[in-house]
Amino acid sequence: MKKFVFGFVAALIVLPVGGIAYFALGFSPIRADAKPSALETALLRSAVRASVRRSAAGVPSPPAANDDDVVAGGKLYVLGCQGCHGELGGAYQEDTDLYPAPPQLPHAGTQYSEPELYWIVKHGVRMTGMSAYGPFYSEKELWSLAAFLHRIDKLPPGMIEKIRAK
Amino acid sequence: MKNFIAGFLAGILVLITGVLGYLRLGLLDARSDAAIPDWTARFLYSGIHASVRRTAPKLQNPLPQSDETLIAGGKLYLNDCVGCHGEPGKPPSDFGATFYPPAPQFPRVGTKYSEAEVFWVAKHGIRRTGMSAQGSSYADPKLWSLAAFISRFPNLPPHVWEEIQRKSAM
Repeated sequence: MKKFVFGFVAALIVLPVGGIAYFALGFSPIRADAKPSALETALLRSAVRASVRRSAAGVPSPPAANDDDVVAGGKLYVLGCQGCHGELGGAYQEDTDLYPAPPQLPHAGTQYSEPELYWIVKHGVRMTGMSAYGPFYSEKELWSLAAFLHRIDKLPPGMIEKIRAK
Repeated sequence: MKNFIAGFLAGILVLITGVLGYLRLGLLDARSDAAIPDWTARFLYSGIHASVRRTAPKLQNPLPQSDETLIAGGKLYLNDCVGCHGEPGKPPSDFGATFYPPAPQFPRVGTKYSEAEVFWVAKHGIRRTGMSAQGSSYADPKLWSLAAFISRFPNLPPHVWEEIQRKSAM
């Protein structure tokens, strides 16, 4: 029994120390122009989703969005987001310069709710290329962007033209 | 010995389950606008540098050490990097601060990386940060000029920066 406890404690020490040393000594690959493994993607994507769900739980329900709000959000997307997340109405083109690759929203859509999208844009997602836009957008802009993003892969006909119109 | 191994395996199992559970329950804070603890920043930056040091080929900058090289690199920096890494003579970038970890402000702090390492990072990017790979956008000589330029921070010759601004204003 004593030996079992020794072994148990040894594992609790060796594993974290090994992991820290692996990274600190520079053995962890660092280049961004590679693809994350399916395991890494699945693990971290679900961690982000769970964390966002938990954190955004306190965010109040969105104000009901009308077409004007969606168009306003779309205009923000064209100006501030499509460089990484894919051109609205454009052909699918995967970004391979960031790791993890930013989701190509016009094609993939999103499973996040409007309050969650609001929360992500406002606070960003750490250890990705997604920075926080809270300092740069008003609450109204954040909500219109969330309304737009929620509908991005199923916009009614004519909406893209309205968004692109000056 | 058998018991020790059984305990060790149990320890591994508990650790992995614990980490997976922690992630699955969403207990890891995802926000990038939270202040990064000092020790976390230092740990990340030093691990990244260690990996770059290990990976980046130890090359000499093939370009001549001249004002022209610095100016070419500076123009690239002004076009593509200032948004996150800050502009010389201006306050630190607000945008760069909204990443986690935040983008280092080169004009103020300079860099501990060698030119070959700066070149390698600019070309290949740094995973799990906002630093994207520029190798698909710029050819090697451009990135070498950028590396020469960034390596001169924070002691950039003033006439070089004036020249860069003059050229980009035209």
